Amino acid sequence: MESEVFSANSSTVVVAHELKAPLSLMRQLALSLELEQDIDRAHQISEKIVATSDRAIRQVNDLTKIARLDEALFEMEPVNPRMVCDDVVNELWRLFRFNHRELRIEYRNKKRLVVGNRQLLYSVVYNFCLNAMSYGGEELPSIVSVSDKYGTKIRIAVRDFGPAIPTKIWREIKDGFVKQPVEIAMRPGSSGLGLYIAAKFTNYMQGDFGLIRHRDGTSFYIDLPVSGQLSLV
Amino acid sequence: MIAIVEDDRGWEDYYRQLLADYDLKCFHDGLAAVQWMDQTVPELVILDILLTGPTGFAVLNEMQSYPELAKVPVIVVSSVALPEDELVKYGVWAVFDKGDMMPQDLLKSVQTALERGRNGR
Repeated sequence: MESEVFSANSSTVVVAHELKAPLSLMRQLALSLELEQDIDRAHQISEKIVATSDRAIRQVNDLTKIARLDEALFEMEPVNPRMVCDDVVNELWRLFRFNHRELRIEYRNKKRLVVGNRQLLYSVVYNFCLNAMSYGGEELPSIVSVSDKYGTKIRIAVRDFGPAIPTKIWREIKDGFVKQPVEIAMRPGSSGLGLYIAAKFTNYMQGDFGLIRHRDGTSFYIDLPVSGQLSLV
Repeated sequence: MIAIVEDDRGWEDYYRQLLADYDLKCFHDGLAAVQWMDQTVPELVILDILLTGPTGFAVLNEMQSYPELAKVPVIVVSSVALPEDELVKYGVWAVFDKGDMMPQDLLKSVQTALERGRNGR
């Protein structure tokens, strides 16, 4: 029975499943909104619907971008990684709060720019964060960090504190390339699709994608080369 | 007490709101639920299938292996299309698809399952 259910695994199935999760939740929330009499609770439900739909729309947008990577529409430019991380956290804190999670930022780098594409880097960090939200526990916050690496690169990482990633999956993706969502789809909701998107965009930016397996969680990271241009911010 | 095994916090919140009149115990993975059920026999289990770690099927198999837990009605709520008649073998009381479930249908099913459970099925 179990094998029958999961034998249909393929990239398309995983993508469809992961996009169905927020859609079905929004539907339930909308139905419960109809029944809600309390204005404050109705407002909370409405906020949840918006946050959940934002997430689904962004994933669909990212999938569209993947389809257009070959057209080389995304130019490499100097990008301030701290500003990107600030913007991602600003967008996601509400969704984290709804999911009883917390997201924090730690900057350990010099204020330097990286060579990348702002839109794509935003999506990479966003998807790392969604992954952390799914895996991390409630006790400790997930941490977005920016740090210098070897003097020539900057690492942007998202650390979660939750169950360690299975060894098999770690081996498959530690060297940096996720071939298709199904291979890392440990759970529905974000991880397979989100990490697939992150890996694709990292590859396009010629960055390094990887993960560190901690005993109490996982860090996913992207390393991008430092830009020679100085940050004015 | 109703045990809810659901790893999506959004859905957990939804259940807490919908089933606010019931005594709930929520688990985010199957292993934690099974460990808890070693000590406590719930009146009903609401179970997702695709979970972090062991799947909902592992939970169902584990429950079936203990006589006390095998009698506990299980309501499966999942995004995966599942054949309900096959799941009856696992002691499943009802199956809902997250995509088209109506809240009042779930409430009714919960109520009926609890009543049947209390009356010895």
